[in-house]
Order: sequence, then structure tokens, then C-alpha cells
Amino acid sequence: MATQVTVASDWLAGCAGCHMSFLDIDERLVELIGHVTLTSMPITDLKHPAEGGVDVGILEGAVNNSATERVARLMRQRSRILIALGDCAVFGGIPTMRNCANKEACLKRAYIESESTVDGRIPDDPELAVMQEARPINQVVDVDIYLPGCPPPADAIFYVLSELLAGRKPKLAGKNLDWH
Amino acid sequence: MVAQTTINLTVNGHAIQARPGQTVLEAAADAGIAIPALCHHPHLKPEGACRLCLVEIEKQRTLQPACTFPAAEGMVVQTESEKAVASRKLALQLLFSERSHYCMHCPQSGTADSTDCELQKLGYRYGINSWSYPPDYAKPWPLDASRKHFVMDHARCILCRRCVRACNTIAANHTLGVHQRGSRTLICADDNVRFGDSTCVSCGTCLQVCPTGALTDRRSAYRGHDCDVTRTKAVCLGCAVGCGIEAVTRDNQLLRVEGDWTAGNEGLLCATGRFEVVEPKPQRVLWPMVKQDGRLVETSWDKALTLVAERFRESHRVAGLATPRLPNESLAAFACFFNEVLMSNEVALLYGEDPPVELGMSASLRDITMADFIAVISGDPLRQQKVVGHLIKRALDNEARLFVVNDRATELDRYAQVRLPLQDVSQHGESPFERLRHAYHLRGTGISQLKAAVETAQRPVILYGSGLTTTVYSALRALPDKVRFLPLISGTNAAGAARLGLRPRPVHGAALYLMLGDDTTDGLPVTPRQFTVVQSAYRSPATETADVVLPDLIWAEQKGHIINIEGRTLPVTPLLQAPKSVHACWDTLLQLSMRMGSSLSYDQIHDISMAV
Repeated sequence: MATQVTVASDWLAGCAGCHMSFLDIDERLVELIGHVTLTSMPITDLKHPAEGGVDVGILEGAVNNSATERVARLMRQRSRILIALGDCAVFGGIPTMRNCANKEACLKRAYIESESTVDGRIPDDPELAVMQEARPINQVVDVDIYLPGCPPPADAIFYVLSELLAGRKPKLAGKNLDWH
Repeated sequence: MVAQTTINLTVNGHAIQARPGQTVLEAAADAGIAIPALCHHPHLKPEGACRLCLVEIEKQRTLQPACTFPAAEGMVVQTESEKAVASRKLALQLLFSERSHYCMHCPQSGTADSTDCELQKLGYRYGINSWSYPPDYAKPWPLDASRKHFVMDHARCILCRRCVRACNTIAANHTLGVHQRGSRTLICADDNVRFGDSTCVSCGTCLQVCPTGALTDRRSAYRGHDCDVTRTKAVCLGCAVGCGIEAVTRDNQLLRVEGDWTAGNEGLLCATGRFEVVEPKPQRVLWPMVKQDGRLVETSWDKALTLVAERFRESHRVAGLATPRLPNESLAAFACFFNEVLMSNEVALLYGEDPPVELGMSASLRDITMADFIAVISGDPLRQQKVVGHLIKRALDNEARLFVVNDRATELDRYAQVRLPLQDVSQHGESPFERLRHAYHLRGTGISQLKAAVETAQRPVILYGSGLTTTVYSALRALPDKVRFLPLISGTNAAGAARLGLRPRPVHGAALYLMLGDDTTDGLPVTPRQFTVVQSAYRSPATETADVVLPDLIWAEQKGHIINIEGRTLPVTPLLQAPKSVHACWDTLLQLSMRMGSSLSYDQIHDISMAV
């Protein structure tokens, strides 16, 4: 087997829609895995990038707490090229909508005041992640390639991966550049 | 120095020509070269706020804004040079970082082909796929949803000030302004109050010019981008001004109404014509209904019309009342039906005033804005012909003088230099005929003041209502030829109705035919035992007390012509397809006349309405 390009992905504060869009490349996935090894993804058996590192790391979702920050840093450390996938990773997206409300108010609303909650309590286990301002991943790690969209069109995802395989830096334009 | 008629310059290597006074942006646009800009708008004075249009001009020390830079002979301009493009990308990145531009849930957001957001469109064009400078995510930008019809989301505002300029120079309402400075700058209303509590009149001009999703229409949000909808130029039937509109429709639904920039009103509309028309309406009448045991029951056209023909034949006299909110063709059919088929004179308009008296040369809407003296005699245009009111205020902004002549307070009072009182002389009419209706008189001193003001003016315009005494009308008629007149008519096609001999007056008959179109009225002007037929698009208190209800078209389904206050004949263009069971009222009248043994034909009606 020729040396395959290794690809890993993970998701942060996201809805997994970008990964669904990745799967939307449909039959082209068969062609892709002829050149690429998908090592670890949230949708496969292995979840974390191998210690030896991968060629291409893909992150979906925004950084919004200490846990997602750690995941982002880990992926950056273990990838040669890092792709920010989707509006949340690129721009911050929907998770940033809670930034203008203070953290206490958010936690109170979620765990105590929500309509279906009875005898609510804000969890305070020391193992839990600490809430932070939601922000795009480039506020935490260096990003090499931005792939915006909500979700990015499957064609754009396939285009970016194909260009990288061909040794070119992808240039998003036309139908491949679709933010919303 | 001889004035040049054309200026020669080069843009992106192309030799183009400009007229004296044109900016580089305008000259390039005329030559088919579009220079990106956000705060520029063809109907507003250039602002130079967004800095997107910066271009390289040889021999200039720095990049220059094409929207304000005057074109000059021999100029060499590059609009897409490396320097210009870099500057443009920087401007875009700075705009995005300034506020929380969340495209994902904005109604205007779309792909490069479908987006309605001019900011997003430029972002796509210049390949922006990430933000160089992070916005302050924690900063909450206000969202003002206190107005009924549209919302202001400051997170999407780029401070282009198109809205402020539109409010000031197009609507002349002077509500919008700018509050604070620097990164805290916000568009505000009056003294920074909620829009819903301000002097805003919801004319929606700001909404029409906003390049982003900052100002968003409520009713049409998310219902289709510009590329999904159909735009049809038509005429608003909200009042007698007959403003040009662009109706936005999709799948036989009216989504939104916008002002037609190419019509006499130049894009300006009022809340009635822009927003009220898309508000939810009462229940639609789809089939004829007949009263049985005190309840209205749906029936076939055949049964309903047969019953009506029978009862009309039996009745000693049939009276007819029509709303003025109908095209000439419908009103002609109505008048014809009564004169020829029913042989009845008891036919009139349901509401309105006497038809306007001819005084002289008619003013156009443009004439109002160019006037240097305006007199408003017995009328309240800011309330009843709102767009005319806006145009008057525009003239006042250009230092026109205003006389308001009225017996009661009007919305224009505070803008008038001179207020002359009208006297109600209804009891002491100058002829026995006038004692029957209201008459308003202006004393000789007032008429002299008016004459003197007209004398010194170069472009005087007089707007006048009905019900003035013949003395006043004669005095107005005697004014110099330079005066332009505009009657203040209420009732969309009252002018057309007047030419058909239809005026508002009481009518009497054993039976009543009430043609309502899509108007609604609170009650019937009838005695309880009359046989009443109501032709109406909507159910209302009027239809509930009728013996027979016949469906009718709404304004957007009508076809025909109206005559507006300028005296111009304007086309009524169908925008929507009516439900199959609903017929135009003239069609109904033809069917009815056939059942009454008459030979009233379509051609007859057509000829009469063409003559109007």
C-alpha cells in the first residue's frame, strides 16, 4: 500500500452537522479512502488522534469550555495541517450567542429555570469542564485552512481534501464558499 | 473658459466618458464598470462611509473613494489593482469584526448567487472565508422590535447611514440619526428612544435601502430571496395618490410591497401601501352565500344570481353603493347596470367627498418637491395622502414656504409659516344648492395673502380639498398660470368614479346592491327590511347582515385602470390569481344583467371605461 495520507477529525461545541456534510460526499468516500486513511473521528471507532500525529486534522465546533479547548489544542499538536470545518469553528457560530449573557445566568437558566426541570441543581463536580467564552478555534490554535458553512457544502469538503491530496492549497470560491 | 460637455477618463484600461459633475463611481457605472460600494445608493447623496469603493487614481497621494471623487479630464483609475483590492478586503474584515455578523440565522443570508445581503455578497466576491479580527462576542448589540412591521438588529448594521439619509432626504421625516461616536456609534430614532415610541411613521423607506439584514421586514422574512421571487411593477390602491409599487410575489402569494424607484413617488411609500396590504385579512368570501333561517349558507353562482335577479325585478327601486376603491371598468359596469338594466338613478359612492373642482394645470408629484411655495387648503395630506405629505416636507427642507388653510388642526400646522382660518359656512351657503352640504370659506384678506405669496413665487403649488365656496374656487382659478393644482381626494378612484357620474350621496330603494370590493365597512347604511346584496372579498359586519353575499376580487387580483390625484390614468395590474370561484364584479354584473333580460355587453362597459 502506498503511503496514505492520514486524516483525523473531532468535534467541539458543534451540532455534528459538518460531519454529516462530510458523509454527504457519498460514493466519493470510496474513492477518497483509496488515498486517505481516516484514523479517528467521532463517528468511527477510534475517537482520539494517534500519538504519532496525522497529516490532516479537522475540527468542527467552537471552543466554549476547558474541555473543548483541550481537544482543540490536542488536535493542533497532532496535525500537520489543521482545517477549521464549519461556521462554528471558523467564525464562532451559534455557540457564541450565549456570550452576551453572563455565565451564571446561562447555567441557572439551563439547570434550574428550564420549564421541564424539577428541583434543579447546577452541577459542580470538580471533574466537569469550566465554562468559557465561546469563540472560533483560531482564538486558541493556529488554523491552516478555513472551510466555512453551516454546514459547508459536501462538494466544498471534497474539494478541499482533493486539493490537499494534490499538494495544492485549496482556494474556496463560487459554490464552495457558502457561509450560511 | 468653455464648459466641457464630456469628460474623458480611463478606468481599468477602458476609455470612458463622464458628464460634468459626475463622480468616478457614477461615470464607471454608466460605462458598465461596477465599483463595489455599500453606503452608496443611486437615490441618495454619496456618503463616503464604508470605504469599499476606494480606488487607485494616478497622481493622487492615496486611494480615493470613487463615490465622492469628481471625475476629471485625463484621469486614470484602477478599481481592482492589488492595492485597491487589499484595501477593500481590509475594509470588509474591519466591518465584520465591528459587530456580531451571524449569517446563519439572518433572513438575508444566502449563497453567493442567492444572498440578499450586500455585505455578504462582497465577502463572497473577495473570497473571505474567515475573520482576521475577532469580534467582541460578549457585546450585546440591541435589537429593536418595537415597530409593528420591521425590526432593527444593530448587530447587522454597518453604519452606512443609508437609512438616515433616506429618512431625511426621501421621506423628509427626520426621525433617524446617529447616537454616540467611535465603536459605540448606533443608529437611533429621535433622542435615542425606541423606534416604536419615536416620530417614525413606518413609511419603510429605510427598510428598502438597508444593504444588510439590519433592517428586516417581518412578514416576508425567510420566505424567499430575490432570486426566488417575482417582481411586478404596479400601482398602489391604498389612496388616490396611486404610488408606483413593486409587488414581490411567490407561489401566488404577496410577500412584500416595495416602492418603485422609477415611478412618480420615486420609491417612497407609506405604511398603508407598503405594510397594511400584507397584514392578515378577514375571512375571504369564496362562494356566493344566501341567508337561510338567519344564517348565511354557501350556494352556487347560478342559484345566487337567479335569486338576486328575481328580487331586483320585484323591487320598486334598487339603490346601489360602490366603494371608490375599484377600477374604472368595475365602476363603469356598476353605473351601466343601474342606468340601463335597473333603470335606476339611485347609484352613488359609498364614501368620500364631492368630486374635485377643476382649477387649472395639474401638479405632478415631482412638482410638489420642486415647489417654492405650497398652500394646503382644506385637507390633511400627512394623514390622508401620506406620500404627498412627505413630498411637501421635502419641499420645505428646500426652503419652500407653506400656507395651511383650514378650519381645524392638521398634521402640517407646525411646519406652516402662515395659518389662515377657513370658516364653516354650511348654513349660509352662497346658493340654495350649497346649503345642503358643508362649505368652507376663506375671507378676502386670506385670499389676498395667498395671492401675494403666489405672486412672489416661481413654482407655486396649491393642494385643495372639496367643499370650498365658489368664491374661493373662483379666486384660485384666477391665480396666474404658473400655479399648479392638486386636488386632495380621499377614495382611491374617486376621480374615475366622478367622471362616471358617481359621487357620494344618500340613496334610497327597496333593495340595495353594495359593491365593496376588498373594502370593509362596519355596517350597512340601510333600513332592516331592505333586500341587500353585498359584493365583497371579505366577510365583515356588512356581509353578515346581507341577504345575498357575492365574492369579489381583492386589489391585487384586479385588472383595469384608475385615475389618480394628478389626473393621470394608471393601470391596475393583476399580481395574484384569484380563487377559481371568485369573479370580477363587472363579470358578475354582466351575468346578472343577462338574467334580467338585458343585453348589456362587455364591449359596452369597455367603451365607457375607455372614455373616462
